[in-house]
Amino acid sequence: MALSREVYQALEDIVGTENITEEPATLYSYAYQWMAELVSDVSGGSKFFDRPEAVLVPGSAEEVQAIVKLCNRYKLKFHVYSTGWGPWAAPPSAGQILLDLRRMNRIVEIDEDNMFAVVEPYVVAAQLQAEVMKRGLNVHISGAGAGTSVLANACCFQGGGPDCIYFASPQDSILSIEWVMPTGECLRTGSLGAGLGWFCAEGPGPSTQGIIRGALGGSGGWGVVTKIAIRLVHWPGPPTMKIEGTVPAYRTPLPEDLFRAEFPAFPNWQAFADAIYKLYDAEIGYIAHRQFVMWGDELQAAFLNIVTDPSKQLCDIPELLAMPEIQKLTEEMRRCFQLILAGMTPRDLAYQKNVLDCILKETGGWNIAFVNEPAVQQYVLLFLIRLCFKSLNFTATGSFIDTYNSVASPDIWASGEIEAGKALLKKYAGRIADAGDQAMGPISGQGGGGVTGWEDFVFYDPFDPDSVKAAIEVSDEGDRLKAQKGRPPGGMLLGLARNTHADETARAAKLARAPEYRWQRRLRELFDPNGVGSGNYFWGTEPKGEEA
Amino acid sequence: MAISLAVLDDRVSCADEGLLDIVFQCMLDGCCDVACKVCRYDMEPVEIMRQLRFRLIDQGCFPFQDIPLIDNLRKEDNMMMARKSDRANWAEGLEVIDLTQGKADIAFHVGCRYSFDEELWRVPRAVVTLLKKAGFSVGIMGRDENCCGGRLYDMGYRGEFLKYAENNNDAWKTAGVQAVLTGCSDCYHAFKRLYPEEINFKLPVYHITELFDRLLQEGKITFSKSLPLKVTYHDPCHLGRRGEPYVPWHGQQKKIRGQILVYEPRKPRYNGAQGVYAPPRNIIQRIPGVQLVEMERSREYAWCCGAGAGVRERYPEFSSWTAGERIEEAVATGAEVLVSACPHCERNFMDALAQRNEKIKVYDIIDLIAEAL
Repeated sequence: MALSREVYQALEDIVGTENITEEPATLYSYAYQWMAELVSDVSGGSKFFDRPEAVLVPGSAEEVQAIVKLCNRYKLKFHVYSTGWGPWAAPPSAGQILLDLRRMNRIVEIDEDNMFAVVEPYVVAAQLQAEVMKRGLNVHISGAGAGTSVLANACCFQGGGPDCIYFASPQDSILSIEWVMPTGECLRTGSLGAGLGWFCAEGPGPSTQGIIRGALGGSGGWGVVTKIAIRLVHWPGPPTMKIEGTVPAYRTPLPEDLFRAEFPAFPNWQAFADAIYKLYDAEIGYIAHRQFVMWGDELQAAFLNIVTDPSKQLCDIPELLAMPEIQKLTEEMRRCFQLILAGMTPRDLAYQKNVLDCILKETGGWNIAFVNEPAVQQYVLLFLIRLCFKSLNFTATGSFIDTYNSVASPDIWASGEIEAGKALLKKYAGRIADAGDQAMGPISGQGGGGVTGWEDFVFYDPFDPDSVKAAIEVSDEGDRLKAQKGRPPGGMLLGLARNTHADETARAAKLARAPEYRWQRRLRELFDPNGVGSGNYFWGTEPKGEEA
Repeated sequence: MAISLAVLDDRVSCADEGLLDIVFQCMLDGCCDVACKVCRYDMEPVEIMRQLRFRLIDQGCFPFQDIPLIDNLRKEDNMMMARKSDRANWAEGLEVIDLTQGKADIAFHVGCRYSFDEELWRVPRAVVTLLKKAGFSVGIMGRDENCCGGRLYDMGYRGEFLKYAENNNDAWKTAGVQAVLTGCSDCYHAFKRLYPEEINFKLPVYHITELFDRLLQEGKITFSKSLPLKVTYHDPCHLGRRGEPYVPWHGQQKKIRGQILVYEPRKPRYNGAQGVYAPPRNIIQRIPGVQLVEMERSREYAWCCGAGAGVRERYPEFSSWTAGERIEEAVATGAEVLVSACPHCERNFMDALAQRNEKIKVYDIIDLIAEAL
């Protein structure tokens, strides 16, 4: 269904000829999104979702407002896109236009004294980090990596990551917001709404924090956030991170008296959980994440050797796994996480190291010596501080999803859920990568600690139909197991993304959280009376049956 | 990649003008290839783009700007809209061996840009003079030199490329040369990477920066003059990240641990790590008085000059904008001179500079060598 010439002309009048297209090649580039083949009810099993009817590249909040008002006038659905990552980046159904915000890529302001930055939607984390580091500051980077939008991570979809223990979760870091609502009106929240600048989220102007963001965010279907102020934290390192090494084994040599990467390891999961509580209590750590287990506890040691050595490739895995030192490291790393300590002074770092040593002593843990090798130390620092290697998630098989993940207090690590996740993956091993425990996640999902969790990664081959089928099955089984325990579905929510109300998994998951979905829909009706926001795979459909 | 899949799925027609603009505006500079391979061991973005171009050209879908260029190429064997009979004018009065008549150890392949761009003639002339002084037996094919075909290949004209590759190989065989030397990064990439991949080509290939770096290291030439200059070096894409030597591979894909894709035996990995980065920098840093400052994006992450893969000819405005971006980056270093080692980069920079109010000058690395000796 092509747009009428009248509508197309009206849109073109807003953004100019150069910034609108309905060329098929461009439209399909937006329809091609990660995991499309899994969301088969929407994509038909292909690598493509429905293509948008047109793509617009607005350059300002004013242009966005004009587009949204026009959509209301013509009852035309719009979907919003910035850096895009996953099925939620594509329009969820045909007949929609797509607003690509890549021209809105300005860092509007960096307020060093009050430690916040004001950014537009296409400012990526690496860009902002590079600028604020020059001023002795740093910014949270989502687990999706440094190439993703700071604003979208904060406002529009999940956005947590390895650094939340010190940097706080992104939703807790949002200050004032400029929001073009689904009606096209522009709402300025917090202190900005009272004309007092960007420094505060909750007043004296209006606060809509929970409405805009919630736990997941609107995934491109909830108006357009055109600017946010985001809180910054201290950075004790150099103004620029010097990058050394041969591609792909880049590394950064940071001052050794201020930075330290550690792999704390534990004899059992109870000790692991106890150590996390102690870490929270002691208030140490800049970044804390169970990162490299994304490759599987059986393969993470081998993979680390490959990515830190430019001469190695994936074909070296069998040989590496046969080496006694790798076997030893594999065993050592089974119950470990990655911890970056950053001292504001050398004395501060020394204190944190002492505290860590005490925690390890009290819990029977140890620091894995492998990370003391300079190349590994510097690689891990770069990996976790900049999160520039996040596409390594795709390295093993070309694609991944998660299943059976958990968000809870640290006790969850010792509750048997890790073993349950591992057993689930083992059941499908062969059709998905056989890698063992792949429970990757933050040691804290919020500032100072309190909540932790993981995603059970599933590596599948997106071009192998049986592997794709296995990925769907393991995702569904994970969600079913969780629904039986009254827990929400997996982080990427594929059960819901497939949007099949007839599907037992999605229905059970939605029913388990029915009041939330009901409230979301009520809010949606209030804020988007013409229903022009694209909706998304998770809450955009009309309720049916029991759910209604 | 998304667009390639859309074409394969017949979602997008090859005749779609929007498709052609997207596909042919890519300079095939290989930057995305390097970026993808930081994390991936199974992706070949440059290869995908090349195959897409071959497919489009095979189906008769190409930008209209190609028509005069390819017509002239077929008649005159060059990419410069020039006459073949003028190809050796740059060498007038040089007394260099003509390999169609005489013998020499090294064939100096000048390339289309140096041959026909008068403002750059000083560079190949200096190369010949310096090599003769250093005692090398070097010759040229003169008027019978042909285009290397490398740019044609990137533009999607694989058939034409093969013709030139075979012709050049035959000519060098007939001349009995032991090695091929070039100062052009496009030609270097063609000879070093494409010829061994596409035809039975065995000759050693050197870029002038590799040769002069070696001569300096061996003490066969030394710099005697000081040049008080602050310079920055632009890595030509086809000498840097795409200048990696071809390594033959015959193997297969297989899966281990269920679904992990590997290659058996080990497949060569072209990720920009083995490009020609050190030789030009070694040369510059040996020149007394010269201070080398790096741009923000260098080596495997260098920003393209904008001339690659026919974009200068097909989309001149975009090409010029791209060069302008790089010039701004060079100016930001505080350098007085932007040095490169490719005539295509230099021409694009010079033309973009002519439209700007910047004082920075563009030098070929041979200019520095010649001045400092």
